[in-house]
Amino acid sequence: MAETTAALRALRPDTASRPAGGTRALEEPEATPRRRTSRLGLLMLAPTLLLLGVFFLVPAVLTGIFAFTTMSSATGISGGAYVFTANRLDALAGSGVPPETITELRTERAVVDAAGLAAAAKAGVDERFLADIKATLLGQSFAGPRDFKRALQALPNHPRRIFELKQAMEPFSHAILNTRFATRDQAAAAIRSVAPDIEPAVLDRLLSASYTGWVWTSENFVRLLTQPQTLRLCLNTVFYVAVTLGFSVAISLFLALATFYLPRRTATAFSALWLLPKITPVVLYAILWKWFTWEGGFLPILAGHLGLPAFNYMKGSVPTAWTIVIMVNGFVGASIGMILLTSALRAIPVQQLWASEVDGASRWQQVRRIILPQLKWPILFFTIYQAMSLMSSYEQIWLTTDGGPGNTTDVWALEAFRVALFDYTGNLRYGLGAAMALILVAVGLIVSLLLLRLFNFSDLVEQPRIET
Amino acid sequence: MRSRNFSSWPVVLILVAISLPILVMYAWLVIDSFTDTPPGALLPDEVTLSHWRFLIDPSVTGNVWASTLYTLIFVASVAAVVVSLSATAGYALSRLNLPCRRFFLAGIMVMHAFPAVTLIIGAFLVLQFAGLYNSLAGVIAIKAGMILPLGVWIMKGFYDTVPWEIEMAGVQDGASRFTVWRRLVLPQVWPGIIALSILSGIETWGEYVLPRVLAPTTDFPVLSVFLNEVKVPDSVNYNFNLFKSVGLFYTLPILVLFVFFQNRLMTIFGAGTKG
Amino acid sequence: MTPTKILSCIALAAGLLSATILSAQAEDHTVTVWAGGTDESSHYRVDAIKLAAGFLERQAKLRGEDLHITVQGKTWSTWDDFKQAVTLAAESHTAPNIIVSGHEDIGPWSQAGILRPIEDYVDFDAWPLDQIYKNLVKVASFDGQIWGIPQDAEARVFFFSKPHLKAIGYSDDQIAALPERVRKGDYTLYDMLHDVKKMQDEGVVEKGKGFAPRVSNGPDYWQFYQSFGGEMVDRKTGKLVFDRKALTGMYQFFADAVKMGVVPATYLGTEWDTWHRGVAADKFGAWDGGTWHYAQWTKQFGMKDFFGKVQFSLIPAGNKNGRANSITHPLVYLLSTTGSDEDAALSAELITIASDPRINALHAISSGHLAIGSDEAKLPFYANDRWTSETTKQLLPYTNAIPNDARFGVYWSAMYKGLEAAWTGSSSVEDAVKAAETEVKSALGDHIIIR
Repeated sequence: MAETTAALRALRPDTASRPAGGTRALEEPEATPRRRTSRLGLLMLAPTLLLLGVFFLVPAVLTGIFAFTTMSSATGISGGAYVFTANRLDALAGSGVPPETITELRTERAVVDAAGLAAAAKAGVDERFLADIKATLLGQSFAGPRDFKRALQALPNHPRRIFELKQAMEPFSHAILNTRFATRDQAAAAIRSVAPDIEPAVLDRLLSASYTGWVWTSENFVRLLTQPQTLRLCLNTVFYVAVTLGFSVAISLFLALATFYLPRRTATAFSALWLLPKITPVVLYAILWKWFTWEGGFLPILAGHLGLPAFNYMKGSVPTAWTIVIMVNGFVGASIGMILLTSALRAIPVQQLWASEVDGASRWQQVRRIILPQLKWPILFFTIYQAMSLMSSYEQIWLTTDGGPGNTTDVWALEAFRVALFDYTGNLRYGLGAAMALILVAVGLIVSLLLLRLFNFSDLVEQPRIET
Repeated sequence: MRSRNFSSWPVVLILVAISLPILVMYAWLVIDSFTDTPPGALLPDEVTLSHWRFLIDPSVTGNVWASTLYTLIFVASVAAVVVSLSATAGYALSRLNLPCRRFFLAGIMVMHAFPAVTLIIGAFLVLQFAGLYNSLAGVIAIKAGMILPLGVWIMKGFYDTVPWEIEMAGVQDGASRFTVWRRLVLPQVWPGIIALSILSGIETWGEYVLPRVLAPTTDFPVLSVFLNEVKVPDSVNYNFNLFKSVGLFYTLPILVLFVFFQNRLMTIFGAGTKG
Repeated sequence: MTPTKILSCIALAAGLLSATILSAQAEDHTVTVWAGGTDESSHYRVDAIKLAAGFLERQAKLRGEDLHITVQGKTWSTWDDFKQAVTLAAESHTAPNIIVSGHEDIGPWSQAGILRPIEDYVDFDAWPLDQIYKNLVKVASFDGQIWGIPQDAEARVFFFSKPHLKAIGYSDDQIAALPERVRKGDYTLYDMLHDVKKMQDEGVVEKGKGFAPRVSNGPDYWQFYQSFGGEMVDRKTGKLVFDRKALTGMYQFFADAVKMGVVPATYLGTEWDTWHRGVAADKFGAWDGGTWHYAQWTKQFGMKDFFGKVQFSLIPAGNKNGRANSITHPLVYLLSTTGSDEDAALSAELITIASDPRINALHAISSGHLAIGSDEAKLPFYANDRWTSETTKQLLPYTNAIPNDARFGVYWSAMYKGLEAAWTGSSSVEDAVKAAETEVKSALGDHIIIR
């Protein structure tokens, strides 16, 4: 959130004094002659581009891609495998796959034959054990692995460990049920081995039904558009951003003006105090608020002594919860706003104020007539920028009310974080979360383009003056 | 001019009123870490150092010193990466001829629009691919990437204020552009470098989500995660005063910075001029 | 890690190194165990594996082998963090060898290829696994394979405050007969609401503290769905079931509870700590929790004379359609695909030893969980513990579990969201049910039966 101030710093000095001239700048592109590209410049820029590219741009692009997938903790991120399980095969019933094929794929037959024995010997199964198998079980077949296992365990030389036993069973198995195939071709080959004359269309259907990984979809956006919760989240977010913003702007403006007029010592003390919310680490800041408003914390105890209703203000009622969410975030915003507006205030030529004082203007008139008009652009900048930060912020809410009580203080960014990465049941829906994030990015882009346009981007990119 | 036609006490009164939450929270942060308060009371009745035992006794909360060291490495590395890259890239964008310069600048500005939450899943994949998942190095790279756009903007701003004459003189004396940058321009933007270091330091010191998600089981948690683990829900060892002591310990470096730079911090965060 | 621990690790590492140099036969293995939702009282989830490693080393020594097993445990006190860490670690192939998690993770994780079916590594026909309750083994199975070994069992319990019941006119005998009435369906959830309302009206308990259900999302709320006749899975097809009527009944019940003022509209999301303290200080009229909470209340929150203060039963039925019930949510030891087959076989062996009745009973008694097998229930150490033996008798036979279906997560979230909406009054009960229905329908399509 320090971004705001610093970005404005980069935008100064224009912002304090002059309205945007974006259109003017766009209309007169400097007809600069072709200049030689500075190789040094490229060299100096390269590390930054590399780092931003790999650790910022690639993740961002990946998020955009994920938004159009069904990716979740069940599908995995990096890809899936092909596996036929009982449930998956059952689900195929009546979908055009012949029932015989399904039955065929579902069997878990194990046959003890010469080929199996040879394969087992090749796989390194203990010879004495193989001799046992050959002597007692040759020619037999078993309906399932559990029967086969028990039969093998009856043999004198069976391996002590189940794992070795299972390895010995492998060569005799003619089933593909519950086997994971890494590639589509392997899976197809396996299906053909049990059902040789399968039709290509059926094979295709089987393969896509057996795929465990993610697939492309636009379902995420459809879902976001249709589910009733979206509206609630949007309203919450708009309310949260608007009110917090109003709160921050009002407080920071007051702080900036007050500290501007107050004696230096008092002013320094207060502006120092109001820096704290900004520089305190978020975890501590959030818990301090908890201590302040929690049951057994400062305010409820105080209220109890005064005979006022004392309860857990952070989660006990919707109005108090919202008040706290807005204050928690608003104080940080006010902190930033104060810094920003104070520096803008200091840039106002002091002669103007003296002059007005000589004319007998009151402080209020001075503020309204001289200062506020000149603070218009910094305030606008702060508002837009802070709106962007608030829209995508969730840490403070997460660590304080966590969207509660119920989901009354839940906002879009928090929900995106929860959907994608933080779920009690462990059902992380990366795809849906990415889609939610993508929408945030889209709104953020529009706002930042607005910002660039309003604050006259072209003036910031003045051409270099030295040719080398 | 700051005296005659207005009396300051009503303003001070309002200021005190709106500052009360902060005053109370931070005052009690310090008080509670040295005292015990009976339940249901506001004021402590006993002075104790027992909440600070975690400093010498790792059985209380775990090894806080190792975590501190870890956090320091984290902060210093991010600052080093951000400052060195911003100092070079900022200069290139401010003063040198580059194709698509406008595009870079606009792009860097727009990168702010990307909320961190959008990046985490993608970041995970990149780190995993690079073998950096669950390592401090990975978190450093991602955090540096997130601060860098801002850093470049700040440094570009500082370079913009350096008078051209300095460079002109250097170039006319026959020095290469690189030498001019290193010898003549860089000393001019020291305030910017200090400002950026402090800024990135404070941002990184408080970072919580990235280490928690991208490096959940490194040997030692960074202090933000460490602090949040002190207060385990569902447990009686939960102790607000202990938490506050650890919290105070955690914030101490920032408070020290705060005391030393108190006057300058405003300017550093704000205009950054004449640091 | 503490400095002493680091030192000892270094010493250990040095020791191991020299040992390897001296005897080439020495086998060193490191097995990692991660457990979620684990607090101080349930440290045996990891420690049992350490004990097992000790046994295995001794066994190897008798065979003349030199085996060293280092068990590296890590626990999380919450679930969300833990599951995220496991999922991402698995994606980067650094998942622990042994995962201790809720059985419902088997669905998604087996699909994602994170897990090995444990039946490939252990023998369920041999002791001690053959004496594990069959229904628990079933809970650890999914899609025709056994994926995990039950680590603990529990039942969820409905609690009544004895002193407060007495204060509104219950006799000792009536209180003693209450669990039986609940079981038969004589005493329903609405009877409970009236009783706690009475407690509040008579000033026995504070307003809004009559009824204190679970403070957050969890399997508990599915019990209330079952109380109103709901089923989570269709017995015939194995598909998930969305029962409109049962869900309406359940949402309505909580909305009514709020309307009667026995629970605040903003109750959900209360801090666990506040809830525990409330229980320990006997502030509530009735509440629901788990068997393991007993350990926390008596050990951590200083609750005394538990049996004198608290009566417990199944979750009462809601109406004629439903039944008194309880959900068990066993944790399971799972084998991850990380590491070699050899590592997995060793880990499986450790899990098997850790499932020894005597070792598992340490966990059961220490954390208030229930036995996983019949032999464990017979152990005097276990059977002499009043809480575990009584709950085993009274509750365990009536428990069922939530499904392992990978799709259940969606349904789970939708149900809770609807509950929150109805509870806080942000939408009507009908709308909440409708919203939940739309959500599961759009997300699951044919995979869920709407009734």
